[in-house]
Amino acid sequence: MTDKKLLDEYETRRETALAMGGEKKLERRRNAGVMNARERIDYLFDAGSFLESGLFATSARPEDRDSSPGDGKLCGYGRIDGRDAVGVVNDFTVKGASSAATNMKKISQMQRTATERGLPLIFLGESSGARIPDNMGAFGMGNLLANNPAQYRRLRESPWAAAALGMCYGSSTWYTCLADFSVMRKGAVMAVSSERLVSMAIGEKIEGQALGGWKMHAETTGLVDQFVDTDEEAIDAIKTFLSYMPTHCNEAPPVQDVAAGSGDAAASVGDLVPDSRSQVYDMRKVIRAVVDTDSYFELKPRFGRTAVTALTRIDGKSVGFVANNPLFKAGAMDAQACDKIISFMVMCDSFNIPLVFFVDNPGFVIGIEAERQRAPGKIMNFMNALQLVTVPKLTVMIRKNYGQAYINMGGGKNADDVCAWVTAEVSFMDPAFAVNVVHGREGQRLEEEDPARFKAEFEKISLENSVWDLAACYAVQQVIKPEETRDWLRHMLQVHERRLSNGVGQHLLNNWPTSY
Amino acid sequence: MAREEIQSEVTGTVWKIEMEVGADVADGDTIMILESMKMEIPVISTEDGKLVELKVKEEEPVAEGQVVAVVETD
Repeated sequence: MTDKKLLDEYETRRETALAMGGEKKLERRRNAGVMNARERIDYLFDAGSFLESGLFATSARPEDRDSSPGDGKLCGYGRIDGRDAVGVVNDFTVKGASSAATNMKKISQMQRTATERGLPLIFLGESSGARIPDNMGAFGMGNLLANNPAQYRRLRESPWAAAALGMCYGSSTWYTCLADFSVMRKGAVMAVSSERLVSMAIGEKIEGQALGGWKMHAETTGLVDQFVDTDEEAIDAIKTFLSYMPTHCNEAPPVQDVAAGSGDAAASVGDLVPDSRSQVYDMRKVIRAVVDTDSYFELKPRFGRTAVTALTRIDGKSVGFVANNPLFKAGAMDAQACDKIISFMVMCDSFNIPLVFFVDNPGFVIGIEAERQRAPGKIMNFMNALQLVTVPKLTVMIRKNYGQAYINMGGGKNADDVCAWVTAEVSFMDPAFAVNVVHGREGQRLEEEDPARFKAEFEKISLENSVWDLAACYAVQQVIKPEETRDWLRHMLQVHERRLSNGVGQHLLNNWPTSY
Repeated sequence: MAREEIQSEVTGTVWKIEMEVGADVADGDTIMILESMKMEIPVISTEDGKLVELKVKEEEPVAEGQVVAVVETD
């Protein structure tokens, strides 16, 4: 029989640990409608599947032992929708989930296990930064913060997902930026350091939302993929993301049942694209119409909007979409769109998810602002990444396809197979501009100077841009009607499955920067 | 209540105003259409709310980043 005194002590210590930072702080969170760390763990992992690592861990400083249950960061192993995963969940009620000696050891244990054993790693973040006084001084820095040479090392062995769920400074910001998928609860702040510290340092009052609120990350930085209103929605988004992912980089993604109604909208997809070449439309609707029902999961919807990046399923299999969206800037890709596409291709390639490109753009955005945004460098990063991708790549040319962007979107031999809708038009330059370059005078628009001649030359030059010449030189392998798009994708994804390596690619992009 | 400024994302000319001041507007609604790069480019609200101000008229030129409308959010 185990000594009763020891068992009682075990229970007391366990209860103390589970009580986190105390009832007062927990109540404040409840009143604010925000989950605490243990509620988040319960919501993340399948019921009864969580095994905590370090329940009895505390601060390494003797004077803090009794006030630091779990040392502010809760870790462990559990299952998400039946699949094994590793979690790090910050407990803000304990010392603001600040980083210190013991919790750093806990996190590196989780990171090592996830990376070496090939398990998804989830961070539910909220942290005040490095703990003071623990990390102060040369002794603190030398012993604590700089002591793990693998902490920020990512070779994408397994998928990482992160949520920014409150005040995120220091570690929770870093891990969100390192993750393959990130989600933020509106109202949270993600920044290098707090508005209080920033205000002190620069002598100007800075407001948290302006420093690192959701709008900042949705529209300006693009560092976060999705934005939601509640903790539950954030954790749901992470689970949905993981449903597209393999458990690690050396297996193919899971295959799901094909949702009822999939393919119903495919027959009328052509109606979503206007006949007039000067009218725009929303490419997201076109993608939704050809993929499995309710499988559309868009990343960074408010950032670099001239391009769309979305995880989807076709026939139950994960497929990544990269598409131009004519609704914004006619679909002309800018520097932000390039960054967004590159990071998406890197993720899909790292986790063996085939890529499909839907093309309708008049070329890359040009002009002084584009150059300032380093467009030439971005366009070449895009090309380099595209040519290093080893998952299957398929391109569907829908309408306009001009200039260098033709190559970036998989034209030529940059996709494994290419098809074109009958509406596709391809050249080095939009015919309206080409007519002016060849026949116009500097500073004059031929359409204004001599409309009849412009019309004749426009028609002549447009003839050479048709899909039939593309098919004649075998630059596209099929010309299809819009309603055949889903079937073409299903068939070609099947053809290009990587059978020789069980669906696994070479991962040549696995050390591409996790941010930009 | 917050005033959200809606900017033009391109340089072009106002072709058609699609909404009147006072109208309810939803995220994704087209407020006006510009002509740029020989395309009809919509200016789309990024907010739910009420259109409280139009800062341009039809046929006026607009620059990239210029505020063309204001939406008041709840």
